[in-house]
Amino acid sequence: MNTELPYPYAGPEALRAPIEAALQTVVDPEVALSIVDVGLVYGVEVSDERLHVLVTMTSAACPVTELILEDIEQALDGVAPRGMAIAVELVWTPPWSTDRMSARAKDFMGW
Amino acid sequence: MARPLHSPLITLGARLFFVTLLVACLLAGLTGGLVRAGVPLPAGMAGAWLGPAVQAHAFLMICVFLGTVIGIERAVAARVRWAFAAPLAAALAGLATLAGRPPLAAQLGVLAALAFVAVNVLLVRRQSAPHTRLLLLGALAWLVGNLGYAASGSPHATVPWWFAFLVLTIAAERLEMTRLMRRRPGAASALGVALAALLAGCALFAVSPVWGGTLYGAALVALALWLIAFDIARRTLAAAGLSRYMAVCLLLGYFWLALAGVAWCATAWGLPLMDAAIHALALGFVFSMLLAHAPVILPALTRIKVAFGWPWYGPLALLHGSLALRLLLRHTDLDFALAAGAAGNALAILLFAATLAGSALVWRRTHPPRTTPS
Repeated sequence: MNTELPYPYAGPEALRAPIEAALQTVVDPEVALSIVDVGLVYGVEVSDERLHVLVTMTSAACPVTELILEDIEQALDGVAPRGMAIAVELVWTPPWSTDRMSARAKDFMGW
Repeated sequence: MARPLHSPLITLGARLFFVTLLVACLLAGLTGGLVRAGVPLPAGMAGAWLGPAVQAHAFLMICVFLGTVIGIERAVAARVRWAFAAPLAAALAGLATLAGRPPLAAQLGVLAALAFVAVNVLLVRRQSAPHTRLLLLGALAWLVGNLGYAASGSPHATVPWWFAFLVLTIAAERLEMTRLMRRRPGAASALGVALAALLAGCALFAVSPVWGGTLYGAALVALALWLIAFDIARRTLAAAGLSRYMAVCLLLGYFWLALAGVAWCATAWGLPLMDAAIHALALGFVFSMLLAHAPVILPALTRIKVAFGWPWYGPLALLHGSLALRLLLRHTDLDFALAAGAAGNALAILLFAATLAGSALVWRRTHPPRTTPS
C-alpha cells in the first residue's frame, strides 16, 4: 500500500487514486467538506465486475442521504471501467465518530 | 422495513398533490397574515376561505405548512411509506381549515402529530443519539400543542408548544452538525438546560403567562447563544458558494432567535412586543433556517435539483430587511412600518419560491439529461 487512505481499499492499484478523487468530489454543502474528509467512506472493494463502496451518514434522520448516495454513484460512474457495476451500500455500524474526520476537516472545524 | 435505495417512496401524483396543497396553504396562510397586519388586499381576493385563513394564520403556517414540510422531510429520511401519513394529515388539516371546519382541522392536526411521533420513534430505534431523541421530543411538543388546540379551539396557550416543536427540531438538526466541532466540556449540559427551560416555559405558560413567558424567552436567548458558540456556521462562513450562503442564513437566524427571546420576556412583563416575539421567531429564525436548507432539502424531497447562485441572497436580504422594518420601526412614528414590513415578509417568501423555480430551470439548462449507457 503506497498511499495512506482514510478507508480500507481492496482492488487494482490503477483504480485507487481515481476512485479517491471521485469520492473527494462528493461534498456535503452543509459542512463544506467532502464525504472522504468527514470520514463517511468505510471501505472500497473492486473486483473484476463490481465496485462496492460502504458509506455511512452522520444521522439516520438525514433526508439528504439518498441524494448523497446518488452523487457518489454518479462520481464513481465517471471513473469505473465500462461495464463495471457500481454498488453503494449504506451502513450504520460502526457508528460514525469524529475520530474518522481527516486532519483537513478537523483543521477547518477549528480542532 | 425500509425501502431499497433509489426506489421512489411516493408516486409523482402524490408529490404533485403535496406540492399543490402546500402552495395553496402557504398562500392562504400568508394572506391571512397580511390581513392581520392591516395590509389592504386587492379587490376580488376575498372569499369564504379568507376568514378562516385570517383566524387560523398560526395553525396554517406552523402546523400545516411547516408541519407538512418537516413531515415529508422526516418521511424521506425514514424511507418508509407509512411515514407520509403525518404530512398527509397535516396537509388535509389545511384543507379542512380553509373549508371552514376548524374542529376537523384540529383533529387532523392531532393525527398528524401522532403519526409524526411514531416516525420519530422509528428513527430513534434506528439510531439512538442525542439529536434523534431531540427530534422525538420536538414531535411530542407538537402533539401536546395540537391536543391543546383540539381541546380549546384557541391557539393562545398552544403557540409556545408549536414553536417548541420547530425550535427543538432545528436544535436537533444543528446539534447533529455541531458533532463536527470539538465538543467543549459542559456544552451538552448547557443545551439540555436551555431546552428543558423551554419546555418548562411552555408548560408554565398555561398557568402563569408572566413566569412561563419569561422562562420561555430566557431559554430562547440561551439557545441562540449556544448556537452562535457551538454551531459550525461560524466555520462554514469562511467557505464559498452555497456553504457560505447557508452559514449567513443560520447566523442571521440566531440573531433573531436571541431578539425573539428578549421580546418574549418583555411581552410577559406587559410590553407591547407580541408581534416581535412571534415573528422574530417565526420569520427571523424559522424561515431563515428554511431558506438555508431549501437548496439542499428540496432536491432530496422532490428529486428536482437547483443551481445555487448570488440571486439566492435577494429573498434573504428582503426577508431580514422587511422584518427589521416591521419589528424595529413599528414603535416609532412610522405608522406604515407593520403593514409595509409584513408585505415585505410575504414578498420575500414569494421571491424565494420564484428563486427556487428559477434555479431549478437553470440547473436543467446547464445539466442536460445524460444518455445513460446500458
